[in-house]
Amino acid sequence: MSEQMNKPPLLRIEDLRTYFYSRVKRAFVRSVDGVDLEVMHGETLGIVGESGSGKSVTMLSAMGLVTTTPGVITGKVTFHDESPKDLLEGLDANVKLERREGRIMRVAKDNQLWQKQADRNLKGVRGGKISMIFQNPRAALNPFETVGKQIAEAVRLHTNIKGAAEAKEKAMYWLEQVRIDSPRMRYGNHPYGLSGGMSQRAMIAMALAAEPKMLIADEPTTGLDATIQARIVDLLDDLKARLGMTMVLISHDIGVISRLSDRIAVMYGGRVMETGPAAEVLDEHAEGHPYTRALLSSTPRPENVLASGHLPAIEGEVLDTINVPPGCRFKARCQRINDTVRPHCESQEPELFELGSDRRIRCWLYAPK
Amino acid sequence: MKFTYRQEVDTVSEYSSFSAWKSARRSDRLSVIYGLVVVCVVLVSYVLGAFKWLPHDPDAMEIEAMMLPPFSDGYLLGTDFMGRDILTRLILGIQAYFLPGLLAVCLSLGLGSLLGVLAGYRGGRAEAGVTYFSNLIDSLPRMVLMLLVIAAFRPNIFIIMLVFGITTAPTIAMLVKSKVLMLKERNFIESAVALGLSPATIIFKHILWYNCRALLLIQATIGMAEAVLLETSLSYLGFGVQEPTPSWGNMVQAGANYLMQGNFWPSTAPAIAIMLTVLGFHLLGDGLNNIFEWKQSR
Amino acid sequence: MKSFPLMAVVKVLSRELAATAALLLGVSLVVFVILYLSPGDPFAALLGGRNLSGEERDAAFEALGIPKTWYGQYLAWVGHVLQGDFGMSISSGQPVAHVLFTSGANTLFLTVGSLVVTLGVAIPIAAIAAMRPASRIARSSTLMVYLVSALPTFWLGYMLIYFFTKQLGLFPILSATDESQQLSWLYALLPVVLLGLGNGALSEIVRYLREEISRVMSEEYVRTARAKGASIWRHAYKEALLLPVSQIIAAKMPFVLGGAIIVEQVFNWPGLGRVAWQAAQDRDYPVIMAITLLAAIVVRLGSFFHRTVYVAVNPRASHQ
Repeated sequence: MSEQMNKPPLLRIEDLRTYFYSRVKRAFVRSVDGVDLEVMHGETLGIVGESGSGKSVTMLSAMGLVTTTPGVITGKVTFHDESPKDLLEGLDANVKLERREGRIMRVAKDNQLWQKQADRNLKGVRGGKISMIFQNPRAALNPFETVGKQIAEAVRLHTNIKGAAEAKEKAMYWLEQVRIDSPRMRYGNHPYGLSGGMSQRAMIAMALAAEPKMLIADEPTTGLDATIQARIVDLLDDLKARLGMTMVLISHDIGVISRLSDRIAVMYGGRVMETGPAAEVLDEHAEGHPYTRALLSSTPRPENVLASGHLPAIEGEVLDTINVPPGCRFKARCQRINDTVRPHCESQEPELFELGSDRRIRCWLYAPK
Repeated sequence: MKFTYRQEVDTVSEYSSFSAWKSARRSDRLSVIYGLVVVCVVLVSYVLGAFKWLPHDPDAMEIEAMMLPPFSDGYLLGTDFMGRDILTRLILGIQAYFLPGLLAVCLSLGLGSLLGVLAGYRGGRAEAGVTYFSNLIDSLPRMVLMLLVIAAFRPNIFIIMLVFGITTAPTIAMLVKSKVLMLKERNFIESAVALGLSPATIIFKHILWYNCRALLLIQATIGMAEAVLLETSLSYLGFGVQEPTPSWGNMVQAGANYLMQGNFWPSTAPAIAIMLTVLGFHLLGDGLNNIFEWKQSR
Repeated sequence: MKSFPLMAVVKVLSRELAATAALLLGVSLVVFVILYLSPGDPFAALLGGRNLSGEERDAAFEALGIPKTWYGQYLAWVGHVLQGDFGMSISSGQPVAHVLFTSGANTLFLTVGSLVVTLGVAIPIAAIAAMRPASRIARSSTLMVYLVSALPTFWLGYMLIYFFTKQLGLFPILSATDESQQLSWLYALLPVVLLGLGNGALSEIVRYLREEISRVMSEEYVRTARAKGASIWRHAYKEALLLPVSQIIAAKMPFVLGGAIIVEQVFNWPGLGRVAWQAAQDRDYPVIMAITLLAAIVVRLGSFFHRTVYVAVNPRASHQ
């Protein structure tokens, strides 16, 4: 344990910003607006937030998978495998930004060079060191190829196994590891012949077959039936224990996050609002960010609904990521705002203040006195 | 190679009004403008030609003034190998395709919409029948069919345009049909019927006018472009208007020998006219298409 | 392809074949009816060019074995066609089938060659336009394709001939198939190139391909491939290239055949296009009917080819 404490984080994201240009509104949508995250070896970081909070885009940006132009990405993403490597290195050279009062007003981007540089940076990392699985597994698998072949491809690309027959054996092995039924038969199935749960298992197998250092799971259970969701969560839990994987789990489902995460980061409006050990963050009755508290209490639970007779919800609307108001992003919906902190909340965005050894909260209520 | 994106204002209002024209890409706006210019020129020339308000007599042959280049004295676009003014002949050449083409496009839009609505609205056997008819027409290359028709009926511009209208109807029918099916899926038609609207109202006002007019307009531009190409190709082959009546196609053909000797202009002038006109209709259609798509995908 | 469902594929394709046959039947009917409705007596030539009275005509028909009713005549014609007998050319007296065969080979060469040219030009341009839309190459080549597509093919042909013969002094204009000419084989390429670029559908083909490539590149499974570190084209080529190209061949075949008529006229190429043109001039019904039928058959063959590719590539298709 202490050995791991001294190791640098496997992935460190520093001040990541990803802005998209909306032609209709002629303005930048600030999907990711300055995110700092760390993933330590062997741990599972759960990133939770509403739709539009930028959680998926954060990891996609880190992996260079943001291809819809024009995504402008700045910041530093350090992947520390044997040696640290900046995954966003050199991209800035292809972009010229013009800022005014901290806002990006003008972007001139050479997209082709940018993409080339991104591909160069991530060569070998994508798939081999960091694997990613997505929502909607049946669409995410190649519909024209059998599932087995796709897993075998991952094996051949990223492990020492190059022969067709050996790769096939390995693919079968992984299909068994993800506890898919009748692996031999499933190997020769096309994705359309698999159910949602089975194809997600297949995608997990494909991601793990490359024996990566880290797995990023982007909403892996969203879109699946509730019972299947539980099974996939079980599977991930099991794999976590058996393989000692480092994982980043992105979900808007608190239940999934709570089950699998060691540490949690809560995102809202493109920024991280709170980070800390899972148990602490998820404890409704302990200290924490107002947004997180609201999220937790708005999760429908039978006893609460029966008691109060209505479904609790967070007041207000989701943040407009084009016109970000000054001050705290959550101020319009915050239930815990009081007169002491109000002047700060209105005018200046809080930093991530420390609360304890491993806890950070972006709220003026927790500012050091 | 660079993308440049500018944030136009400091803050953007959530409910700012959306103008399809203003948000359109510059290239699309230029396309539409250019296309409209071409349409205007064609219209004006058609009128000039119909009333014979021409700079010169199209048949007048000035032996002295043969093969003059453009911008010569008195002859804005020069003269051909028989001393005839090219500008006059180009203007007259529009007579050959404009009215017949317009009629043919109207026919194809009408017939196509009818078949499309029939297929979409009724479904079942009507749809199967229209699809069969559509595939059948599409199996015959237009030019080959034209030669067949010409062999049977002698070159006759109205029969040719009739056949042209029929051959272009299937594309429109299929487009209208899929639009109708889409509306059906969105329960649009069901609700209209539930509101008590008559089938005629539903079809003409709601389906065709509200929902299909952009589509039909764009198909009309494509159709006109094709009509120009068809007429000029046929008159090039000798099956259109005959000498000395000018058609852009037969002008190119007549000047071909001179082209081989290095005198490009008598053949090239009508070729450029064809290109600019076809381009105009195509760009108009494309530009409008892109602008409307933007509006819908917003 | 271990799990290749052969029986299912055969079933789907035989259904296609039946549909094709039904369509061709319809085409033959349309062709026949057009001729039947034409003014003048198509049989005048056969009957010695005289106008016969009703009874004389009936008698002559009986003597020649021609059925009297229109559907009888239609069936007789179809029957002959299915046996490969397309009748005799009115102007030349030759059996039409023979003409189809000899001239058909020349047109086949033109057509296939032009498809190669078209695809060879369209695929790279579409790919670049899709992957790097703002680059100078993409913009300028798309523009050029647009312009070329709007130019009248016949004029373009003459310009090509002029430049290649006069400026480069390479090929004599004499004859397309004169083997004695040294570089005549290069000359044979000119009409192929012209038809490839000037069939009127080039800009649409480029645009369609570009859209398909763009669309496929933003599909989720391509993103997975990228995330996997795999080659995106290896995953995308089926949907981005194979399927669209076969669709293009099927859909644009009529343009190619129609364009061949113009191109053969410009180059005086001894193919079916020129034969058809002559037949239209001479009102040579058997010839033009046969060529029309043949054209429809070729178009439907293109369609069938596309369906075959679709069923072969798409794992879901064979299970319908």
